[in-house]
Amino acid sequence: MKALRAHILLCGGTGCHASGSIAVKTALEAELVKRKLTEEVKIVETGCQGFCAMGPIAVIYPEGVIYMQIKPADIPELVEEHLVKGRVLQRLLYQDPTSEKTIPTMQEIPFFALQELRVLRNRGLIDPEKIEEYIARDGYAGMAKALTEMTPAQIVEDVLASGLRGRGGAGFPTGLKWKFAAASKGDVKYVICNADEGDPGAFMDRSVLEADPHAVLEGMVIAARAIGSHHGYIYCRAEYPLAIERLSIAIKQAKEMGLLGENILGTGFNFELEIYQGAGAFVCGEETALMTSIEGKRGMPRPRPPFPAVAGLWQKPSILNNVETFANVGQLILRGSQWFASVGTEKSKGTKVFALTGDVNNVGLVEVPMGTKLGTIVYDIGGGIPKGKKFKAAQLGGPSGGCIPVQHLNAAVDYEKVAELGAIMGSGGLIIMNEDTCAVDMARFFMDFCKDESCGKCTPCREGTKRMLEILTNITQGRGKEGDIELLEDMAAVIKEASLCGLGQTAPNPVLSTIRYFRHEYEAHIRDHHCEAAVCSALFKSPCQHTCPIEMDIPAYIALIRAERFADAYKVLLKTNPFPSVCGRVCDHKCQSKCRRGKTDEAVAIKFLKRFITDNAVHPPVKKVEVTRQEKIAVVGAGPAGLTCAKDLALRGYAVTVYEELPEAGGMLRWAIPSYRLPRDIIQKEIDDIRALGVDIVCSARVGKDVPFSKLEKEFAKIYLAPGAHRSQPMGVEGENLQGVYGGVEFLREVNLNEQAWLTGVKSVGKSVAVVGGGNSAIDAARVAKRLGADVTILYRRLKQDMPAAMEEIHAAEEEGIKIELLVAPLKIVGNGGKVAQIVCERMELGDFDNSGRKRPVPIKSSEFSLAVDTVISAIGQVPDMSFVPQDSGISVNRWTCFDLAKGTKSQTTNERYYAGGDAVTGPDTVIAAIGAGHKAASEIDAAIRLANGEPAYEAPVDDNIDIPFVLDEETIESPQTKMVELAVAERGTNFAEVELGYTKELAIAEACRCLRCDVEL
Amino acid sequence: MANELKVTIDGMEFSAQPGQTILEVARANGVFIPTLCHLQGTTNVGACRVCVVEVENARSLVASCAMPVSDGMVVKTDTPKVKSAQRMVVELLWASGDHNCLTCEKNGDCTLQDLVYHFEIEKPRFPMTSPGVLQDDTNEMIFRDLNKCILCGRCVRACNEVQVNEILDFAQRGSKAKVGPAFGMNYIDSDCYFCGECADVCPTGAITFKAARFAGRPWETRKVATTCTYCGVGCQISLHTHKGKVVKVSGKELHRQPNFGSLCVKGRFGFEFIHDPSRLTKPLIRREKGGALEEASWDEAYSFSGKKYQEVIKSGSSAVAGLASARCTNEENYLFQKFIRAGAGTNNVDHCARL
Repeated sequence: MKALRAHILLCGGTGCHASGSIAVKTALEAELVKRKLTEEVKIVETGCQGFCAMGPIAVIYPEGVIYMQIKPADIPELVEEHLVKGRVLQRLLYQDPTSEKTIPTMQEIPFFALQELRVLRNRGLIDPEKIEEYIARDGYAGMAKALTEMTPAQIVEDVLASGLRGRGGAGFPTGLKWKFAAASKGDVKYVICNADEGDPGAFMDRSVLEADPHAVLEGMVIAARAIGSHHGYIYCRAEYPLAIERLSIAIKQAKEMGLLGENILGTGFNFELEIYQGAGAFVCGEETALMTSIEGKRGMPRPRPPFPAVAGLWQKPSILNNVETFANVGQLILRGSQWFASVGTEKSKGTKVFALTGDVNNVGLVEVPMGTKLGTIVYDIGGGIPKGKKFKAAQLGGPSGGCIPVQHLNAAVDYEKVAELGAIMGSGGLIIMNEDTCAVDMARFFMDFCKDESCGKCTPCREGTKRMLEILTNITQGRGKEGDIELLEDMAAVIKEASLCGLGQTAPNPVLSTIRYFRHEYEAHIRDHHCEAAVCSALFKSPCQHTCPIEMDIPAYIALIRAERFADAYKVLLKTNPFPSVCGRVCDHKCQSKCRRGKTDEAVAIKFLKRFITDNAVHPPVKKVEVTRQEKIAVVGAGPAGLTCAKDLALRGYAVTVYEELPEAGGMLRWAIPSYRLPRDIIQKEIDDIRALGVDIVCSARVGKDVPFSKLEKEFAKIYLAPGAHRSQPMGVEGENLQGVYGGVEFLREVNLNEQAWLTGVKSVGKSVAVVGGGNSAIDAARVAKRLGADVTILYRRLKQDMPAAMEEIHAAEEEGIKIELLVAPLKIVGNGGKVAQIVCERMELGDFDNSGRKRPVPIKSSEFSLAVDTVISAIGQVPDMSFVPQDSGISVNRWTCFDLAKGTKSQTTNERYYAGGDAVTGPDTVIAAIGAGHKAASEIDAAIRLANGEPAYEAPVDDNIDIPFVLDEETIESPQTKMVELAVAERGTNFAEVELGYTKELAIAEACRCLRCDVEL
Repeated sequence: MANELKVTIDGMEFSAQPGQTILEVARANGVFIPTLCHLQGTTNVGACRVCVVEVENARSLVASCAMPVSDGMVVKTDTPKVKSAQRMVVELLWASGDHNCLTCEKNGDCTLQDLVYHFEIEKPRFPMTSPGVLQDDTNEMIFRDLNKCILCGRCVRACNEVQVNEILDFAQRGSKAKVGPAFGMNYIDSDCYFCGECADVCPTGAITFKAARFAGRPWETRKVATTCTYCGVGCQISLHTHKGKVVKVSGKELHRQPNFGSLCVKGRFGFEFIHDPSRLTKPLIRREKGGALEEASWDEAYSFSGKKYQEVIKSGSSAVAGLASARCTNEENYLFQKFIRAGAGTNNVDHCARL
């Protein structure tokens, strides 16, 4: 035997072939020849390694270093470094996405380390086209044991005892199936392997066939022996040419070695095996249809009984098992049923192979013990969701399965649990979906598949799937009706109950499970024509506009920037937004999260472009609006919700008075957001514009104290309550009352009230500040404290990617030198002479997943530590202050200290004269959400008044028609988002100068050109 | 009986034989279960699912036409779950095609129509969509309008399992599935023998007899049970007559020996001659050599031929020969040969079918 000093195991699965492994192999061979290494180094093309996302993959032994995403051009360097110089080539190693460290060996990469390989035990290790390599890994030893040491009854007993269940999806005990077939009388029996894998997104069976075909053959011979069969078929879809090729080679080699065919291992047992190629009908994965297809007939299912174990293929007793089931059998027999049952759950033993696809970083093939948590598969093995998006649901079981949403990430994946959650195990297709997936559209997609694949034999499946698809399509295109959801449920119940075969019986599952978990999305599509994920494009002009809570006409103003018509662009902004300059600076820009440009490179910088318009357009003078209506309206709270409502109502001719407790209007914009993010004159200008319309804003007037509630009751027809959420939630730890402990918003308000006093040191936070929390308020408080000259540490109990604050704010804080301590929670604050001296914390580790899909922090025992600090700012959330609302007002306040809204309205409280909105209804939310609430309240208030008076509904005056230009770009060149011009970190120091400086005209136009103009129909 | 099984249907206990289906036991005992695709004497395909019933301990509803009974089986045919499934199946089928009873030939004799009425479905909840398939009006015997086809497959089984002509089958899949000869051919271009079995078993107006189109509603026609005159088999047929004319011949009403409802192309479609003006309806006699055939009364004809026979027989038995018709019944032919052999004393007797 030749002594080789290195083996290169190159992945040759279909996935890696597709990503270029064939070219890599050619380059590698050429390079080895060139360097005269062919006698020392051997290339082995293996089956699928599983980590398809990173293909082509190669592992070089004896070191066991794994290289990924290899291109032919990398080969000379790889050979030079690894094989000649003996150094690991760092740049082709796996890089951990969180720690950004490179990991050289498979065993240490979480994707591989957390798997339990049984079915896939030979993947990446053997050449599937060489039977000797399979035999060297205990191949055919299980078969030898079964044929020479065991009776058929013992084989059946062993399989029964192991608890092995059908891996094709239904989970029927394999041993029981064999027992029935063994008991059936007859000389001719068949063993059939179902390799008609057809679920979208599933490729487990293909990989097994490609990587380890002999494992399947071995399992089939054992099954044949168990039931007394001498003829078998592998029904493999013709779309799997590589699997068929490797199977054919395997059958030929096994026959040559006497491991298949006549007189196997000299025992006198015969078993012939044929491959039957399926023509691609999904229904042929159903056992009776598959057998009908082998018989040469149209592949349609037939009623059972008779069951195949009694009368299957050609009416002879037959068993049919899935590829993965057979692949389990050889090792099961060799190592015994106890070994097999040593992993798994009570009723689901062994492992399960999943094809992990969709919106997940590590797309690939994984094998885990039954009962592994879904979250472990998605996050630890799968590496989480790309681009920092949120996990929405996992579709298990393909078109026959259901989805498992974020609140069930802790679910132990086994047959029972999965069924309980409304999905099915299926053959193992696991499609991960992120927040950009629409539940209704997903259900529609799978129903479309089932409708196409229905064989047409039975009515419920043939006609039912067609009609369900029709209803789903209607809903996604805005033609849904009340009652559609209930009709879908009725139909689903009948189709599941009355269909002839598994295809129909499971086809409604995706619809049922999406209705179960995402019914609100169906309702939003039907009632509001709203698609939360901005997928159903028939419902909107553009995803950005649809996602904006006030539906700003984003493509229009971007197009106007490109055309350098800034004044018109500003008019477009004002149509829907009374605070465009504010939003151009501090909006959380949900619009950008759904920007289609983001799917290619990066989203268009919509927020920055908006700001550019407000900074550069001529602002037309605001004229006072004449009061034309008798009814007077009071607004409580001069924040974005209250002022938006006031402006809208003033424009409709109402006299509006706004009462504000604090000395200046603006609410959170003025009192919580620091001026380096939102300069005071910018807010003031927009508030002045509202005043100029005729809105009366009375400051330093707290309702319930300065303005009696009875005054509102007496003088105003309708009252809008928008007091915001200005009280910090306590941390609930000892020492919170010490001097130097602030709530986040209270601290920001205090600094904003007395900026000069704080900046000049009259007031001080001391040298060292700890901020507790991970939201935007926490970051604001930290950056403000930093500007006051303190050393600031943010304490957050989870990971950075779990922080609710905007990522750009977190980065800015870090840039400015703020430390972020992660996985830390406060235990108590220790004082000295009534003043804060230190904060005692404990370290956390991550446990199970919570309902938000983030791992729950769990304290680590005895991990306490303390930080010496002068000030503690607790910014873990805010609640409204409802003390101004009289108990007997009939306005109900719920347990979150927020206003309850009357059923069926978007702003009316439980007292019909009072409306409410903003943070006081939703809890702390964004500026844009508050503006949206203000708009809705204004139109509901106006509509209620008109309805009571018997007046016709309000008709908005016709806008000046602004034509929106369109320039068709020949091609889209990938380019990242245009960077915001920022004040250098060094210049930020201890002042409140605005950090973001705004785009120049050239930058703005360049950025505007990146817009794909989803709104235009060509 | 030795292997007798006990089956409970809707609370009543019935005896059954092994191998019987739930439907068979129910029907034998007067329990109504609706069916559409079931066709006696052919494979139980369980396709239409209108016969689903609840069986205790079964995972889902089962098709009663295809489910063999077992001892102690408890079946329920009238639960809300069963009714709602059956109703939806009928509703879906109604909506699936162009089921316009106003002009449909099968109005009054349509299983789908009966079931829609039975389930009191006033209007389907789904838009009625005609598949828009071209009608097959290319032959003189069978008219096909697949827009009315509910894909029950009875015609397919009638063609393949009863007549074993193997012309019809399903093509395409799902809601696009269609029944017909290979390659989407019309009947006339295919190898179809035009036995008409498919039209006879079609539960809707998808396959109908062309001659019967617009020639009388089912309730207007008289059905006369008779024996087919074409050959000696003696097939039992129903003649459907309207205004004194035969408009259709069917076999299914008289599902009995020897043909059990099946007919051949002649028996099914060869009835045009009945109303042909050139058909002989009275005896004709050529009274003089070279003269014209003249109408005569039956008495005159009988005595005329009797007289001629007596003249010929004088020359001996072998001067007489008898030729019988295949359109006579076996009994008539038997009598005829008896008459020639015993009466005339000769074996000179033959039959047209031997030619």
